[in-house]
Amino acid sequence: MASNAAVPFWRAAGMTYITYSNICANLVRNCLKEPYKTEALTREKVHFSIATWKEGKPEKPGNCPLSRTSDRVDFTVS
Amino acid sequence: MAMAALRREGRRFAPLLSPRPIAAVRSSLVSEEDIPFGARSISTQVVRNRMKSVKNIQKITKAMKMVAASKLRAIQIRAENSRGLWQPFTALLGDTPSVDVKKNVIVTVSSDKGLCGGINSTSVKISKALYKLNSGPDKETKYVVLGEKAKAQLVRDSKKNIELTISELQKNPLNYTQVSVLADDILKNVEFDALRIIFNKFHSVVSFLPTMSTVLSPEIVEREAEAGGKLGELDSYEIEGGETKAEILQNLAEFQFSCVLFNAVLENACSEQGARMSAMDSSSRNAGDMLDRLTLTYNRTRQASITTELIEIISGASALEG
Repeated sequence: MASNAAVPFWRAAGMTYITYSNICANLVRNCLKEPYKTEALTREKVHFSIATWKEGKPEKPGNCPLSRTSDRVDFTVS
Repeated sequence: MAMAALRREGRRFAPLLSPRPIAAVRSSLVSEEDIPFGARSISTQVVRNRMKSVKNIQKITKAMKMVAASKLRAIQIRAENSRGLWQPFTALLGDTPSVDVKKNVIVTVSSDKGLCGGINSTSVKISKALYKLNSGPDKETKYVVLGEKAKAQLVRDSKKNIELTISELQKNPLNYTQVSVLADDILKNVEFDALRIIFNKFHSVVSFLPTMSTVLSPEIVEREAEAGGKLGELDSYEIEGGETKAEILQNLAEFQFSCVLFNAVLENACSEQGARMSAMDSSSRNAGDMLDRLTLTYNRTRQASITTELIEIISGASALEG
């Protein structure tokens, strides 16, 4: 069933729906005009510290990017 | 000058009198080491120091309560608004806590900071109970822990079952982007059939109930759809846009997890502030009670020492005359 269905381009690129919607939201936020734009961009700040655990021991914790805009992927829709 | 001489005379007789006549005054409020052996009564200095520190503690806890109240007001509005994010999902897909799956992942939401009453302990207790409930042959349950407090408690006995721990979530004000990136990381790193998110739902300033939300993976949704019930009606929806039902279910499942996690984190933050308010409030009240008792002790010992001095002076004076 899934083999003939055309997978959307972002799913083929390895993104989840969440990543896709975040990128779209980021694009929309950047389209705003000035006073609202800076407020909206404060809503994009991401910070947390995540550590994977193997066998009861945490590996070195990695921080995630501070702002989503650092991961922007540009793609064109044909 | 004469008074000083009389007082010195009076004090020379002190060791001959019973060394501890006022043992009853030695209340539990002042510890034993502060009082030298042979002293006739508690020195007022010790009690005064104690009163000063208790008063400072009371001021600090009152301030913390005010701060928590203001933070609560701000975040409560956002939490209530975020409830609208997951309600359509529950209307569409239903919330089936009793679903029986092989791979469970328990996501425990807790706070990073302490002094917030018992909410983190209740979350951890429920997580552990859920773990026991879902254990069985062939089943696998893992923890994903958000927040330092739950991590500290779970590390003690469930170290092997922790998959991920996340902290420093509240460094910047909570927003959807942050939680969705987190949800994405969890989805990428953890295999699951069902995700069970445990958090404290905020009902009111004094009531926070631990709640569990279940998010199923798309394969399990298919399986349950065959079994009928709410999910069985999914087929009656028409799908537009050239995507298959499986893809749509996958998108929906990911988005549902992100929304439910966002709501859970906000509600838990509200509950944390509310619990901190009530904990600090009861702490201030206890400090006030302690201060009252210390004041009484202080006054009693002060009056006792004045009376003793008077007795010494008068007996010294009458000894001179007579």
